[in-house]
Amino acid sequence: MLPHLDDGYRLARWLTGERADAEDVVQEACVDAFRGIAGFAGGNARAWVLTIVRHAAYRWLRKNRPAALVSVADLDALADTQQGQTPEAALIAKADAARLERAIAALPVPFRETLVLRDVNGLDYRDIASVTGVPIGTVMSRLARARGRLIAALGVDEPSG
Amino acid sequence: MTDNLLVHAYVDGELDPAHALELEGAIAADVALAAERNRVQALRDLIRGRLAHERAPARLVGRIESVLGARRERSRPSWGMMAAAAVLAAVVASGSTWLTLRPQPPNTTAEMVVASHLRALMAPQPIDVSSSDRHTVKPWFNGRVPQAPRVVDLTNEGFPLVGGRIDVIDRMPVPTLVYRHRQHLISLVAIPAAANMPERQTIAGYNVIEWSDNGVRYWAVSDLSAADLDSFAKAFREASPDR
Repeated sequence: MLPHLDDGYRLARWLTGERADAEDVVQEACVDAFRGIAGFAGGNARAWVLTIVRHAAYRWLRKNRPAALVSVADLDALADTQQGQTPEAALIAKADAARLERAIAALPVPFRETLVLRDVNGLDYRDIASVTGVPIGTVMSRLARARGRLIAALGVDEPSG
Repeated sequence: MTDNLLVHAYVDGELDPAHALELEGAIAADVALAAERNRVQALRDLIRGRLAHERAPARLVGRIESVLGARRERSRPSWGMMAAAAVLAAVVASGSTWLTLRPQPPNTTAEMVVASHLRALMAPQPIDVSSSDRHTVKPWFNGRVPQAPRVVDLTNEGFPLVGGRIDVIDRMPVPTLVYRHRQHLISLVAIPAAANMPERQTIAGYNVIEWSDNGVRYWAVSDLSAADLDSFAKAFREASPDR
């Protein structure tokens, strides 16, 4: 676990939304990992660690932020950003950090975790599928929907600060 | 699967060289697609640059050391072992990507069925004949494959028929029916064979169930959950074609 502590912390930080809560989640995950280390069957240790952190984060969410856990059926029904949102790439590249963080925090959890595992943790699609327990096709569509929402959010002129 | 999804896979380096070249051609010919590629790339670089380097605070390491300290005295599996496993995993996992997931040609029928399902999802239409009427779909196969498949109506079970297509499995044209459940597609491949019980497996995250009935071997593949795909297989097996 310690070799992948930073990765685990980054995932927990975006799943819980708070850095202090992320520390608690990672600490719990470390205990889980230590207990389960005999069950580690080889393979990708980083994906294994992130799976454990994700479980700990979901436990934390169920207890502290139950409303954040939307069901998959709700997710299917969720409207996507309308077509025609075609901001300039340069506008997105310039977005400031606070605005980017707000936009990511506003994503539904399944979209947010897929995006974070890909763009913050740098996992490939196959490892994301194994960490989140969904098929690769679902990883692809969640990633595209997450990025579509971020592009729409960052591509409009900010109303106020 | 639309070009839009493929743009993301392209930016993420998940396409094999042939598909990447194909998409580059499409981007060169389509200004809107090129703009989308630029947006996705800009967003990815932005997140990577701003957020991918955050480190866990040093005090967290201390906290974990103290929580685990007592445990470490008692049981022996060490973090050193974990670190060694991580290094090994990094070597094993390098070079793994999505469409290059299986650089070797698929060798089992189930793998070829999954490959056909994936190709169909990527095509503009996952089917060659589009109809929810089995009396339209079944005759369409006549003359195209040696044996038209059994087509049943499962609308009441929640699996409406979408249409059919011809796949090539083991150099043989085979009939494939496409059903839908909510927003998920199910490909059902039928090949003449001996009867036996359903078998389940997962390939690249897709669930595959295969079984035989009346001398025909069926493969159902979908990103549906194993339980939902099981209900589909059960409904198909139990349905009378004359209903």
